[in-house]
Formats: sequence, C-alpha cells, structure tokens
Amino acid sequence: MVSGSRRHLVKLGAIAISAALLTGCSTGSDSAGGDKNIRMLVNITPVLTKQFYKDLVAGYVASHPGVKVTIEAPTGRGIEDTLKQQLAAGSPPDILAGGQNTALAGQMEPLPDEQWVKDAPFAEASELDGKVWMAGTGVQLQSLVFYNKAAFAKAGVTGTPKTVDEFTAALRKLKGAGYTPLQTGGEWTTGAQALMMANPNVMNTEPQWYAKRNKGSVTFAGSNYAKYLGVYQSWIKDGLVPKDANGIKYQDMINNFTAGKSATMVMGNWLVASLAEAKPGIDAGVFPVPTFDGSTPPQAANPAMPYSVLKSSRHADAAIDLVKYLVSDKKAITKALSVEGNFRTGYSYEASPLTKDIAKLLDEAGGKTVAIGPGLGDNSSPAGFPAEFNTQVQSMYLGTTADQVAGAMDKWWAANAPK
Amino acid sequence: MRPSNVTLTAPGPSDNPPVPERPRHTHHTSPRPLRARAARSLPSIFMVGPALAAIVAFILIPVVVAGRLSLTDWDGFSDNSKFVGLDNYVQLFHDPDVASAAYVTLVIAVVGTVACNVLGLGLAVMLNGQGRVKAMLRGLFFYPHVLGAVIIGFLWSAILSSEGAVNTLLTAAHRSKIPFLSDPQWALAAVVFVVIWSTFGVNVVLYLAGLQTIPESLLEAARIDGASRWQTFRQVVLPMLAPTVTINVVLVLVQLLRVYDLVLAMTDGGPAGHTQTYAYLVLSESFLNGKIGYASAQSIVLMVVIAVLAVVIVALRQRSEKAVEL
Repeated sequence: MVSGSRRHLVKLGAIAISAALLTGCSTGSDSAGGDKNIRMLVNITPVLTKQFYKDLVAGYVASHPGVKVTIEAPTGRGIEDTLKQQLAAGSPPDILAGGQNTALAGQMEPLPDEQWVKDAPFAEASELDGKVWMAGTGVQLQSLVFYNKAAFAKAGVTGTPKTVDEFTAALRKLKGAGYTPLQTGGEWTTGAQALMMANPNVMNTEPQWYAKRNKGSVTFAGSNYAKYLGVYQSWIKDGLVPKDANGIKYQDMINNFTAGKSATMVMGNWLVASLAEAKPGIDAGVFPVPTFDGSTPPQAANPAMPYSVLKSSRHADAAIDLVKYLVSDKKAITKALSVEGNFRTGYSYEASPLTKDIAKLLDEAGGKTVAIGPGLGDNSSPAGFPAEFNTQVQSMYLGTTADQVAGAMDKWWAANAPK
Repeated sequence: MRPSNVTLTAPGPSDNPPVPERPRHTHHTSPRPLRARAARSLPSIFMVGPALAAIVAFILIPVVVAGRLSLTDWDGFSDNSKFVGLDNYVQLFHDPDVASAAYVTLVIAVVGTVACNVLGLGLAVMLNGQGRVKAMLRGLFFYPHVLGAVIIGFLWSAILSSEGAVNTLLTAAHRSKIPFLSDPQWALAAVVFVVIWSTFGVNVVLYLAGLQTIPESLLEAARIDGASRWQTFRQVVLPMLAPTVTINVVLVLVQLLRVYDLVLAMTDGGPAGHTQTYAYLVLSESFLNGKIGYASAQSIVLMVVIAVLAVVIVALRQRSEKAVEL
C-alpha cells in the first residue's frame, strides 16, 4: 500500500514526466481547430530567403483554407545536416526543399506515378528502386566559366577556349597581363570548382560514373579525374590559381572577380545574381568548361529547388499536393526559376543577358547534363563525397600530387561505397 | 595542527550524562520511525531530485545510449542497424583522421590551458582591487566570452583570411601576406590564438574571485615580514589559490578538448583538414557522413579521456595541496 505522501510524490512525478515528454516531443502540431500545419525545411541562400518561400507558397495557402505552411530554416551546417538531426530527434518536417542526398531517400514518401512528377526535371534520374522520391522545379547548371571580357581583350585572348590546353594557354596570357588567371578559393569552393570542371570531362563518356564506381568497375586513378587533377596540379605549380586559395572566402572570390582582379571564375549559374548586384560590376561573359578533346561538353547539373515528402508526415497527401503545386503551377515555377536564374523547358521569364547566354550554352549542349557532387538516384556517391574531395583538392595546394589524390579518393570510395 | 605529544585514550568520566543509544527499529517492530525519517528527508529529495533527474536524463541515459550505438553501424535514421561489436573502436585506432584530429585537439588543449591560466592569473593579479580602469579592463577581457563561438569564428575568419583585414593592411604597406588560414601551421596557430582569446576572460574572473578569498591578514603578515611582491605571490597567494587553479585547469582543459564550433566557423577544419579537432570529426562523421555508430564510439573514447584527465588532474592537485598543508 502506498502512503499518502508517497502517492502525492508519484502524482507529482507523473505530471512532471508527462509535461516534459509533451513539450519535448512536440513537433509543431496542428491547431485545435484541425488545421493542417505543413512544415517545410528549406535551403536558405542570399536569394532564397525565408520570405521568398513564404511568398512562394502564399498562392497555395490562399486557395487551401485550413492548410498552414511553416517555413523552417536549417539549424545545422545545412539542410541535410538539419534533416538528419531532426530525424534522429524524431521531429522531421513534412517537406524537404533542397536536399538531394539519396542516402535519405528511404525516409521519403514515393511520389505518385502521375504526369506532373514525370514532367519535373530530374525526376527520372532521381529514381531509386523504381520509385521517384524527389521532384525538381528547374535545372541548375554548374559547369560554367565566367570571364572578364576586358581582361581577355587586354591579354590578347581572342575567342573562348574550347580545349583544356587552350584554356591553360589563355590562363598564362592572363597572368602575363597582371590578372589572377583563375579565381579559386577555400571553404567548400576548392573541391566544388574542381568537380564542376572535371565532371563534364569524366561523364561525357561515362554518365553513370558514380554508379560504376560503387560497383568498382571504374576508378579515379584510371579516369579523366586523374587526368584533370594532373592539369590542376600544373596550374598550382605555374601560379595560374592563387597559391593562398585555401584561405580565400567565397565572397572574396566574387569580390575579386567583380573588382576586375581575377580574369575567370568557375561557378554555377547562381553567380549571375551576385554579379548583377556587385558594385563595381564588370562586363562578364560565360563559356562552358573546356574539354580534353574540344568537344561540346554536357553541363554538370542539379535539380533546382527539388522537393520531397517525408514518410513520417502526418499530412502526406496535403504535402504531396503542395509539392505538386510548387513544381507544376506556372506562376510558382516562374517565380522560382527567375530568382536564381535557373532553367526549364517551356518556361520563360525576363532574364539578364548573361542568363540568356547560359541558356544558349545548354541549347548548344543539346540539353545534355551529367551528375555533379553527390549525383542522383542510383548514380549517387556515398555520403560525404564532396567534403572528402574538397579536402583532397585542398591538399594539392600543400604539396600532395594528383596521383596521390586520385589514389586517396579510390581508397575513400572503397571504404564508403554502399555494400 | 594536532600536537604530536597527545595520545588518544579512552574517554574518561564526564559531567555530561551518558547519551542512551537510539533504539533501532525495523519494519517488523514499528513503521512509524521509518515514515518519520522519510518525511524528514522529503525536502532533501525535492532539492536533489531535479538535479538528479537532469543528470540521469541528460548525461547518464545519453551515455548509455551512445555506448550501445557505438557497437552498431547505424546511420542515425534508417531501420537498418547492424551489431558490429567492437569494430568501430578498432577502426578508430587505425583511422589517420582520428590521429590527426587528436593531435590538433591536444595542441589546442595543452597550449590553450597553459596560456589561459597563465594569462588569467597574471591579469587577475594586475586587475585585483578598485579603480575605474581596472573595472573597465575586467569587462573588456571578459567580453569575448559573451560572444558566441560561431560569431567569434566568423569574425576572426574575416580578419585573418587571405583577403581579410590584416592581409589587406599588410598589402597596403607593401608587405607579404601571412597565410593565416591557408598554411596548416599558421592555421593551427590562428585557431589556438582565437581559442585563447575567447576563453581566458573567464579565467580572469575566476582568479579574481579566488583572490578575493585570500585573507588580508595573511598578505599583511607577509608584508610585515618583509616579503617582496614576488615572494608574497609565490609563498602566500599561489598556495591559497590552489583550489581555484585546479578548477580553472580542469574547466579549460575539458572545454578545449571539446572545441568544434569555433573551428567550424573559422576554418571549417581546413586547410585540407589540418585544423579538424576531435569533436569536429565526431560531428562530421555523425551528421555529415551518416556514421552515428562510429561517431558514438569516438564520443565514448573522448568522454573516457576527459574523465581520466579530470580525475588525474584533481588527484594530483589534491596531493600537492596536502603537501603544502603539511
């Protein structure tokens, strides 16, 4: 039998534990009126702000009474980290906007076998085990060389280089003319730029390279990655990239380029927005990354603003309906494409001359794209690949050779490939 | 101190009446005294309970869960979790990244702990006492601690990067740039410097608090005996501060062995992973690479190392304090 005071203690304890559990496990539940609160974890960038997403979903919310959309920004290092933390904590969102890591695909609700999914960019490429788990809004290109037209003219570089050798020769002339030939930097950009340049050269003949590397039928050491890293090593040796690149911030890279100090900069199409806002600006042009054989390269590309619905969502139907709106409503798509300067067949918006030039490059490549960074669907790298590649490329500035980097990447991949 | 010529003997007759031995009660004889004792200890339970519950909920349970996870290959969210025994621990001791991160952490912890305590103690002695300037300087030294580690990291990253404030000034003065963040040695030195800059303010405050507890009469006696300032510091102040030194050393060491947020914001582990600390590596392996099992093993090892170091330091300090007393 429990005495009075002990009964009181037990009651107090039960209340305290219940309160703690209720507050600790709360996931932003719906209101008492039964409204559906759809939580969207979004990728935040200087142009993709929280307010932008609020405006983007405003049309849907207005036409769907009873549905509330809460926009959530990443709290970790990025959207992927944040989602993993939320999954570990048992409090994931309903919709993921921006994540492309297929390691997380198992957590996503398969999208329905409907036309709007089939029409979404990269839907087919992101298919895993026959299920589409992600729908993109547009196409983001990442194998672009932006260049300072005045610097090219001053250095006597006529035309834009098509082969890697022509590009190296142009960089030498630009160095002679007093410019930083190729603007590189530290943080995430060292490896990212190397992938932007290497991938069209690797995957123009082996589009499923990541899938093949997972099976062990191709290697870094035996591919154009090694050849490309060799060229990169020669650029470091010849001073065609800043020797202190590892200490340069991404924003400083942009500042150097817009200030006319550097002649070229490899980056994705989102750079156009930064160039347009930069003061002072420059007259910039763009060409695709050069290839070893001079052929027109495919563009390394990503789905722009892709959406997935979490399996754990209590409002999966409503969440899928919202994703359908975001990737098929003309107004929503146009708004999303124009803010970052992305592309999608059949959709147009008032673009800057530079964005129009980029669109021409995609047309010239016949719309052909290849994977970048983590890849998509079955053609995906193990988690952590971009970070490891970044570390390895940075080590080249400290004396590591191209062969050593290629060997290290093969070793890393073998240790981390899906079993 | 006890006189050495006193011998302990059986107690002699006393004026006080003998205290009767308290009767021992059992459940079988009478439950009343037990209830009374429980009622008496109720306030203590209420006072200790929340802290105990917090320790169990936020330390004990997570450690047990981490220990269990460290024996698996779980990625943190999927249903596929395989028991791998001690594989993660074996891998950990053969992982070159772990060795490199352990070295970086050791450098930060050792250099940082020594510097924070020497600086903290020195400045505390200088700033002890009244005066506006001293009060202002105390606030100034403590200020970095008020800022978040991430803010400090970004701030110093902007100052020390290749195109940052310092190198811009050097370039303007026609001097060569210093590769603060692009050279491995410079980058590690920069991280250590910023860690010390952001930490030592707390030590100043703790040492100031310790200095306040030293009786003025002791210092006065030393002065009367003709002791110099250094002799007073060495023979009176330092021994009296011994417990504060112990606390400061342990606190700073434990804090610096877990540094990751500042590194994340300042160098992101670069260049080429040369400023990756152990805690940074744990974070990368867990949420970036999806190796929760492996990261848990790393965490457990770090926890054990910190616990052993803390116990050893406290034990050594206690021994030296006792030696001083004797």
